[in-house]
Amino acid sequence: MRLAFILSEIGSGLRRNLSMVVSVILVTFVSLTFVGAAGMLQLQINQMKGYWYDKVQVAIFLCGDGSTAAGCATGTATPEQQENLRTLLESPAVAQYINDFQFESKDDAYKHFKEQFSNSPIVDSVTPDQLPASFRINMKDPEKYQIISETFSSQPGVETVIDQRQVLERLFSVMNAASLVAVIIAGVMIVCAILLIATTIRLSAFSRRRETGIMRLVGASKTVIQLPFILEGVIAAVIGAALASGTLWAVAHFFLGEYMSKQYPDTAFISPAQTLILAPALLGLGATLAGISSLLTLRRYLRV
Amino acid sequence: MIRFENVTKVYDQKARPALDSVNLEIDRGEFAFLVGASGSGKSTFLRLVLKEDRATSGAVYVAGQNVANISSWRVPRLRRGIGVVFQDFRLLPQKNVFANVAFAMQVIGKSRSIIRDTVPEVLKTVGLEGKEHRMPHELSGGEQQRVAIARAVVNRPGILLADEPTGNLDPTTSMGIMGVLDKINQNGTTVVMATHDDDIVNEMRKRVVELRNGIVIRDEARALYTSMMPVVGQSRRFKDASGRPDGSAADPGDGPVSSQPGEEL
Repeated sequence: MRLAFILSEIGSGLRRNLSMVVSVILVTFVSLTFVGAAGMLQLQINQMKGYWYDKVQVAIFLCGDGSTAAGCATGTATPEQQENLRTLLESPAVAQYINDFQFESKDDAYKHFKEQFSNSPIVDSVTPDQLPASFRINMKDPEKYQIISETFSSQPGVETVIDQRQVLERLFSVMNAASLVAVIIAGVMIVCAILLIATTIRLSAFSRRRETGIMRLVGASKTVIQLPFILEGVIAAVIGAALASGTLWAVAHFFLGEYMSKQYPDTAFISPAQTLILAPALLGLGATLAGISSLLTLRRYLRV
Repeated sequence: MIRFENVTKVYDQKARPALDSVNLEIDRGEFAFLVGASGSGKSTFLRLVLKEDRATSGAVYVAGQNVANISSWRVPRLRRGIGVVFQDFRLLPQKNVFANVAFAMQVIGKSRSIIRDTVPEVLKTVGLEGKEHRMPHELSGGEQQRVAIARAVVNRPGILLADEPTGNLDPTTSMGIMGVLDKINQNGTTVVMATHDDDIVNEMRKRVVELRNGIVIRDEARALYTSMMPVVGQSRRFKDASGRPDGSAADPGDGPVSSQPGEEL
């Protein structure tokens, strides 16, 4: 009975205040979309880092089937060439610059490739043979990359030496800046949303002051009087958060999945499913914001 | 049922107290009029009973309990035991008669079947049989006040507070309302009614408590609106006026007194 009563109160509150409720939905929608966009950029950075990025800095790719580099005259790197490189890496002259290194065989490379590009159609057309084996080196000081490069580039069986950080770092710094901007915009919009929710609740409390006055007098509990107002704000904010989550999913599905992944087939993009891990966070954030701001408002404007 | 022990209520430190050391006891099942000019403290009295305000000093007991000791989350339970009726009815305009009365039961979680049984019964008590589906604007003032009374007593409170319930009504209608209140009182509910209406007080011949400037100046059983002992009233009035440093503020006349708090219960 009491639940039914509270629900009907919420319904009438939402109907009476429709334009304000719609504006709360839109403002939370926009602000949480920016929050989500920042989250999505971070997810994308993680995706692009792949398996090795956080573990090593320098990769020495060995010659594969179709390698045309000078050191690859003999075709695919032989086990002896691999052993020579390993010995060289372990020699004191080189070892002083590196923490450790790992060997990535063609099969390992294929496994990591499949993980990173799991959302991309390219994964089906690649076989382990096409991927080069490599030594992955964790440097003591990433700035000493040149020394490794000079030492190994000319070794037989080495196709190329790559400083992965140099390739991706600039892109990541742009993306990090973009997510910072998104967070700042989101912050401003969230302040906006909080104030708007507070105003909406105030209006709602004012337009129903007759009812709440009588409820007080006949001894309705604080919960029965306040809960409809709080839930009104929470419902509006949760709808906004759901819209934001849907928008992020749509961006991942249509923009990244359908368009960007065809334009840049060699880049790993996040899947639409991955954006859904942001949804609970957005819904929770929206509900919390609305709950807190309506509680604070009611404390001032709805005496019980 | 209601007991005031040395109760003082000060709204504004600079002004005189709204209630000044009031001692009063109203027994279970009693019918008492609270009379006095605007600003004499009638509404403050009612607000203190409801714990809308806290007494500055002294103790207010309602149903044997000191209201100062009731924690805020239990105040609703206190108010369930007290019905309140106002001069301006305070009905919900978009709800019909039945829904207005049912509202008081819904919000404290009474089941639908109990509401269906109780509301017509109470409407019968206040003389509104067959008008369940009227809207408030289709009713006369007297009928609206009966709806308000029905709403106040539908949860069977032990106390009914009425703040000038006949203030907006003509004398005949007022007498009808008094009949309803009397009937409710006969059923065992303690009734406290603040009023200006001398005809009604004189007609009913109930206990009369007269307040002036926050002080109980008369408390008589089966009394009239104006005191039958004018000497007491005169001397008290004289003493009051002389005891004030600011003579104008202490004007005991019945004219409108400005800046008197406590009228917005």
